Amino acid sequence: MHALRTAVLKFKQRFKPKQNATITRLKRRKAAVSLFTRHLTHLMIILLAVGYLWLLILPSSRLGRGTYMDENALQPAQVNTYWNWGDVNAADRYLEQLESLRDSNATSHQRSQFLKNEFLKLGLASATQKYSFISNQGDIHGSNAYAILASPRGPRNEAMVISASWLSRSGEGNGTLNLRGVSTVLALARFLQNYSLWAKDIIFVISDGYLDGMHAWLKVYHETQQSNLDAEPLELASGVIWTALNIDYPGHSFSHLGLFFEGLNGRLPNQDLLNSVQRIARYTGQVPVTVYDHLDWRDSSKQSSEPSFLPSSLRHNSEVKEFTYRARNLIRNFGYQAKGRASGVHGLYHQFRIDAITIFAVPATGPHGFHALGRIVESSLRTMNNLLERLHASFFFYLLTTPDRFMKIGNYLPSAVLISVAMIFRGLRCWVDAGWKLNQRIKDDGDSSSDVITWTRRKRHVLHVLTIMLVTHSLGAAIFLSIQSSLFLNNQMFFVPLITLATSLVPFVISRVSDPRDEGSAPIWLVLKALNLCSASTVISTITVLNFSLAALLAVTLGLSLSFSGPSHSKLLSLTKYILYVFLALGWLFFYVETREAIWQWEILSVWFAPFVCLVYTPLLLQAGTVCILSS
Amino acid sequence: MPPSTSGLNAAALALVATRIVAALFSPENVLKRDQLLSTPLSSYTQLREGIFLFKHNIDPYSGGTFRHSPLLLALFSTILPNSRTFASLLWTAFDLLGAWALVSIWRARQNVSHTSRDILVAASYLLNPYVFLPTLALSSSSFQSSLTLLSVKYAAEGNASLALFLLAILLHIDLSTFILLPPVLLLLITGPRSHLASPHALAANLLRIIPHFSRYLLYTGILAIVSTSITGGTRWISQTWGATLTLPDLTPNTGLWWYFFTEMFDHFRPFFLMVFTLHLSIYAIPMCIKFQYDPLYATFLLLGVLGTFKAYPTLSDPGLFLSALALFPEVYPYLRHQMVTALLHLHAALLMPLFNYLWLSTGTGNANFFYASTLVFACANGAALIDAIWAGLRIAIGEEKEGYMVVQE
Repeated sequence: MHALRTAVLKFKQRFKPKQNATITRLKRRKAAVSLFTRHLTHLMIILLAVGYLWLLILPSSRLGRGTYMDENALQPAQVNTYWNWGDVNAADRYLEQLESLRDSNATSHQRSQFLKNEFLKLGLASATQKYSFISNQGDIHGSNAYAILASPRGPRNEAMVISASWLSRSGEGNGTLNLRGVSTVLALARFLQNYSLWAKDIIFVISDGYLDGMHAWLKVYHETQQSNLDAEPLELASGVIWTALNIDYPGHSFSHLGLFFEGLNGRLPNQDLLNSVQRIARYTGQVPVTVYDHLDWRDSSKQSSEPSFLPSSLRHNSEVKEFTYRARNLIRNFGYQAKGRASGVHGLYHQFRIDAITIFAVPATGPHGFHALGRIVESSLRTMNNLLERLHASFFFYLLTTPDRFMKIGNYLPSAVLISVAMIFRGLRCWVDAGWKLNQRIKDDGDSSSDVITWTRRKRHVLHVLTIMLVTHSLGAAIFLSIQSSLFLNNQMFFVPLITLATSLVPFVISRVSDPRDEGSAPIWLVLKALNLCSASTVISTITVLNFSLAALLAVTLGLSLSFSGPSHSKLLSLTKYILYVFLALGWLFFYVETREAIWQWEILSVWFAPFVCLVYTPLLLQAGTVCILSS
Repeated sequence: MPPSTSGLNAAALALVATRIVAALFSPENVLKRDQLLSTPLSSYTQLREGIFLFKHNIDPYSGGTFRHSPLLLALFSTILPNSRTFASLLWTAFDLLGAWALVSIWRARQNVSHTSRDILVAASYLLNPYVFLPTLALSSSSFQSSLTLLSVKYAAEGNASLALFLLAILLHIDLSTFILLPPVLLLLITGPRSHLASPHALAANLLRIIPHFSRYLLYTGILAIVSTSITGGTRWISQTWGATLTLPDLTPNTGLWWYFFTEMFDHFRPFFLMVFTLHLSIYAIPMCIKFQYDPLYATFLLLGVLGTFKAYPTLSDPGLFLSALALFPEVYPYLRHQMVTALLHLHAALLMPLFNYLWLSTGTGNANFFYASTLVFACANGAALIDAIWAGLRIAIGEEKEGYMVVQE
């Protein structure tokens, strides 16, 4: 009995608050906060490690899932196709004429006149459009030809486009001609008008040049102004364009069809379009599909692309082969997307909310030709013809690792976001450290002496630091303005070292000019570092939804490097760190060709990669450099 | 050493010049359609449409698009010319007026004729992107902010009739500003001086607000009669005040209402409209009771409530709250999480236009994207408001003693 009573008492004791409930709660809260702050460094390391690892394992075959059709209206590969050998013959005849045009060195005006006449002979409404772009890197002139097949059974307020550019995307428009692509479009124009099932207008566009012709045509079609573009207005008009297919067929036959889908500024088309064409090619055309022109490792007999540093036993492992194949696809994707480049002519459509892809006939000695390609395009058009509303059901954010597997946004986005979270934690840590000063004094009360730790507030000179940040961003703007000038572009070798030197001196001036630090206020470098990390993290996490590849690239370059900025005890070490940061910030200037290309893309196609690098990336690293040389 | 007067004048001139240059070279055509900068109740395009109809003897309130107050209609159909440049300058002039009012409030609070901080206070208003972007978009919400500041200025200076008259106009432009009435009335019977550090019960006799209140009612009534005679009918009531209460136009904006009511089943709508409106008004009296010793601070906090919770907010509503923070430097040391608030605002300010663009321009996102970013914005505004309340109360307790902790329970 007694034992029971004591047990009950003990039990009661256990649950009765020993102290005031408020105090207990406060203590608990304090303990939780101190646990968090004590382990903050570990947490940051874990977040960074997980983020970087996640980026590394993105190509793994264990991540992601198979593609699937989301829009039920599309019904890909469900129709009989009528494209036949007669049409192939017509395509061959067109090809012969185009080849003779090529051999006679016809001007672009003559070419477009020829194309217009061919369309007119078919009974289609057709016209040409001359255009010219004015650029510091040389003006561009050209002439597009286009024709419109009026929808026999629709109100003519919607349209789809079949296009081919005169230059092929292979070699990024270095002169490889897309003659077979153009003849496919001509033969399709001849063939498609025999059928009365089109509910949308079909527009055939043969654009001049590589990207420039189609850009001019689309700009004028959508009545948007561009100051450096001078183009004739379009004589013929149609409705809203929903989808577009661009045909690129540079070789004389092909083994695979490659899908190119990246658009300007990292835009991707709706995945349903890719999935439809992929299914149609596989089931109707019986042509294997790849992403880009990368052949699947099972298909390619060529030497393996696995890195040579791996031991041969690993290199022949199918898992490793699969991983390398997927990694190559992703790296290609990152290369296009991060720089905001279009991987083909289709990429220009996306800015007008048109879902478009390029079907690229991977050059090979066989076995496919016009016959397969025509059937695939015919069937794809039938699928696009089924649409009742814009493509919206499937994904706009995805990473396509293989033609039939992809990753959803939730599977890849956290990698970059985790890194940015680690950076913002580090920034907030620096901010708190800047605001408080640790005072340690020995308290002597007679017999025993003990350390007493107190914290006192310090003033942070935020306005001063914001001025420094503003100066670096204005410096970025100045760099951006200067590299666009023709003076710079003509004398890159001379100006790049000059700009680099001039820019790298500015942080020194900043660090010398003013240090408003009075006794007991926080060191400037710590506040600058805090704000630098926080703003970099904000940039990364907001860019993730706009252009994941760019965000991932920023997370990789800025994540670790900005976290380690700070003055060192030795002057020499600080200086070395500073030089490293300046190298990271301005090293891109020394890639002459890439810089020119990026500026061209900005001038003509409004790709904001170049201004972004100048106005955001470079200043952020310059700030980190300034952190290193400010007095500690 | 205080900066010289000429230096301050130069800085002030530079500020004004910056704003005028910005007004002259702003891309209004892009900005005026921006959903963050103007709502159906404050959009310039709709105002122009209303004026057009009005001038052609068509009742602008008979359609469903024009929701500006008849007072604005009368004002702008007389002074608004067709020149874009003039409109931009006019809107910038409103902002300058607002900045001047803010500086006057600051001086009245300090009870001095001028201070070296004046220019900072003015800059906090004129250079606040939340304030000047709606102005560049010619949204009438910036007109509203200036009116609010002017009304508070006259209340702080003891000029009851002007303060109440401006407040009555404000009520006609935006019904939700009625929650500013109690603190402004208190401000008229006490004063603008800072008593945050020494709280005390209301010294003045509360009955003294009755004449002020009746005056306010009188002004409101007169303005209502004027409005009715301008438009020749009472249809404006349901189109302007009614819009704030019944939310007929669900065009997206930075606030919390539109998404909630797009998702709402129709038979719950009246109930939740009542809940949202009541929720907005529920803050006015408690704030006034708690800060009865410093009604200017209560006014400031209620501006924060408006910026977060009102029906058709633009960026200038939270912008007004953030700029008004410059009036209370004494609470700065007691703010707990300025950096977190600032970062939330930075994220929201980047995400809102981005997600709006992804949803409506590129079509790759959807409404949920933009709604999520407005939630981030609401968190940012909420964080600022809560921190301001905390700091305003905390300052009364003074320096923290060793071994003690000040908490809010």
